[in-house]
Amino acid sequence: MNAVIGWLRQRLPGPRWLVIGVPFLWMLLFFAVPFAIALKISFSQALIAMPPYSPIVEWNDTALTLKLSFNNYLYLIRDNVYVSAYLSSLGIAVVSTAICLLIGYPMAYAIARMSPANRNICLMLVILPSWTSFLIRIYAWVGILKNNGLINNMLMGIGLIDEPLQILHTPLAVYVGIVYAYLPFMILPLYANLVKLDHRLLEAAYDLGAKPWQAFIKITLPLSRAGIIAGSMLVLIPVVGEFVIPEMLGGPDTLMIGKVLWGEFFNNRDWPVASAVAIVMLALLLIPIMIFHHHQSKELESKLS
Amino acid sequence: MSSEQQPSSAGSAAPRQEMLGAENYVQLVDIRKEYDGFVAVDEVNLAIRKGEIFALLGASGCGKSTLLRVLAGFEQPTRGEVKVDGQRMNGQPPYRRPINMMFQSYALFPHMSVEQNVAFGLKQDGMPAAQIKQKVDEMLGLVQMGAYAKRRPHQLSGGQQQRVALARSLAKGPKLLLLDEPMGALDKKLRSQMQLELVNIIERLGVTCAMVTHDQEEAMTMAHRIAIMDAGKIRQVGTPDEIYEQPNSRFTAGFIGQVNLFEGKIEDDEKDYISIRSPDLPAPLYVGHGVTGYEGMEVALAVRPEKILISKDEPEQPHNKAQGVIEEIAYLGSHSVYHVRLPSGKRVLANMTNVRRWASESFTWNDQAWLSWGDQSGVVLTS
Repeated sequence: MNAVIGWLRQRLPGPRWLVIGVPFLWMLLFFAVPFAIALKISFSQALIAMPPYSPIVEWNDTALTLKLSFNNYLYLIRDNVYVSAYLSSLGIAVVSTAICLLIGYPMAYAIARMSPANRNICLMLVILPSWTSFLIRIYAWVGILKNNGLINNMLMGIGLIDEPLQILHTPLAVYVGIVYAYLPFMILPLYANLVKLDHRLLEAAYDLGAKPWQAFIKITLPLSRAGIIAGSMLVLIPVVGEFVIPEMLGGPDTLMIGKVLWGEFFNNRDWPVASAVAIVMLALLLIPIMIFHHHQSKELESKLS
Repeated sequence: MSSEQQPSSAGSAAPRQEMLGAENYVQLVDIRKEYDGFVAVDEVNLAIRKGEIFALLGASGCGKSTLLRVLAGFEQPTRGEVKVDGQRMNGQPPYRRPINMMFQSYALFPHMSVEQNVAFGLKQDGMPAAQIKQKVDEMLGLVQMGAYAKRRPHQLSGGQQQRVALARSLAKGPKLLLLDEPMGALDKKLRSQMQLELVNIIERLGVTCAMVTHDQEEAMTMAHRIAIMDAGKIRQVGTPDEIYEQPNSRFTAGFIGQVNLFEGKIEDDEKDYISIRSPDLPAPLYVGHGVTGYEGMEVALAVRPEKILISKDEPEQPHNKAQGVIEEIAYLGSHSVYHVRLPSGKRVLANMTNVRRWASESFTWNDQAWLSWGDQSGVVLTS
């Protein structure tokens, strides 16, 4: 009996494995498997069938054939609508990340310098909007930005303009929506970083002759680099693939890869091309993610050594 | 705190006094600092001489750190004036003062190498790069950290970090160097070694220095003069030996080292002696010098434990003696501390230096012993 229990103990995963295994299983089920499926579809050919693509592995009589079609990827390169969609997505993501950083840094800095009671209130105010559905919040911006919406009515009411301004369905509206939606993801990591900043380092800098702005450039900014990178990645990566905001606030000329993907999948029912679009987007995002990861592990290393 | 060490280290500080210059190099005039009605520093007047190491000594919350921050410029005094080398410092931000500080936990910039840390202040002054390099090398050589120039602060030990912090605060050649609890982050053994080394470096450069500490041994070892602070006020200023041997109040007598206080009334007030009748002692107390007082005035006689002689036989002198029972013995190797209970209930501490081997064996618990001291050993305290 004891031998059986001992054997079971050795073979069955212990609590340590459970802790590591749960996120591992999660990643496997919800990232690795869907990714593999999308990768597989991206190498197949579109068919009018169910499912709407050809199998890549086939058993014909006595031969197992693996048929990888690179057509979809070549198609992405040949038709410059995809290239320009990728570039414009990246452009919009970079610009809106920069705007988030410009707005978010002073906010995070101010919150980190507040008394603990005020600090909690302000952090709450930053997080509070996400308690409402993302869709509803973006839809609310339609009401604010549209021709007979809040902004235009106000401006006309005080007589600044005679005709409504076209804001909705312009790139400006897309930037407003993205910056609004992703600002908390910039503020929170920056705040977490800045709140740890040792105030005595700034005093030491003043003491050695640095004016407050010089101390900020030479001490605060370099020491908050990890927070800047974390916040920027948290904004940049999801914005590249953003679909809802350009769909609801953008116009027909706002070209973003998320919208293209949607069109391929639901309008053209071309699953293989849609999958290829997704795979290339992931590959593009992998570069900044790897930079981020490399930086993080370097930071960790310098702390441990 | 061993009271033996203090007079000797105080003695070594005295000759240094002669090297010092200008009397009022750093001046604090009527400094008062309030925070929302709380008075942190109250009517402080101080003058620090050029080249002097001056210590502000007090318990935490006594206002010594606030005073240091007022000097550095991190706090503006509510009232009063700060002058360094004749220049008024009030209203000047820290980055315009010829004053540099070594912070308590060093506050080294973690993202810069040792070299860059030391160069920081020089760069702010716009010094040319070649000159900066030379100055940094000179400073790192001074604190013997030349070999660590490329390291980051977190790769250094506590003692090494302190050396870098010192080099950084000295690099700009400040008129006044501030040390905030300089040994606070070091362990005990390293502390005593660094205390002397720090003093050597500071004296070699001849820089005027104000330090804050709560450790009296540190203040006595390092400083030429000490100011004792309590509740925002300065209670006494003097050389370490003056503070120890001539305290001006019951507070300072009790604050520095150990002391026996005999409360009583002046019985006989003559020109060259007084006698005090204390309810604690059967024999009268005799002090061999006059004091400004009157008969019947309430005073205290402070006698340090090492100035009390413990003996088996009754001393011949008619005064300054008492018999009691040994209640406790603390054997400390170099000396023993005896706690003697007098018939009045008063407990008196007496030290005996163990000059002979096994000298401590001559007394044991519950022995009757005589205590006595000379007529110049005590200090009459009126406040």
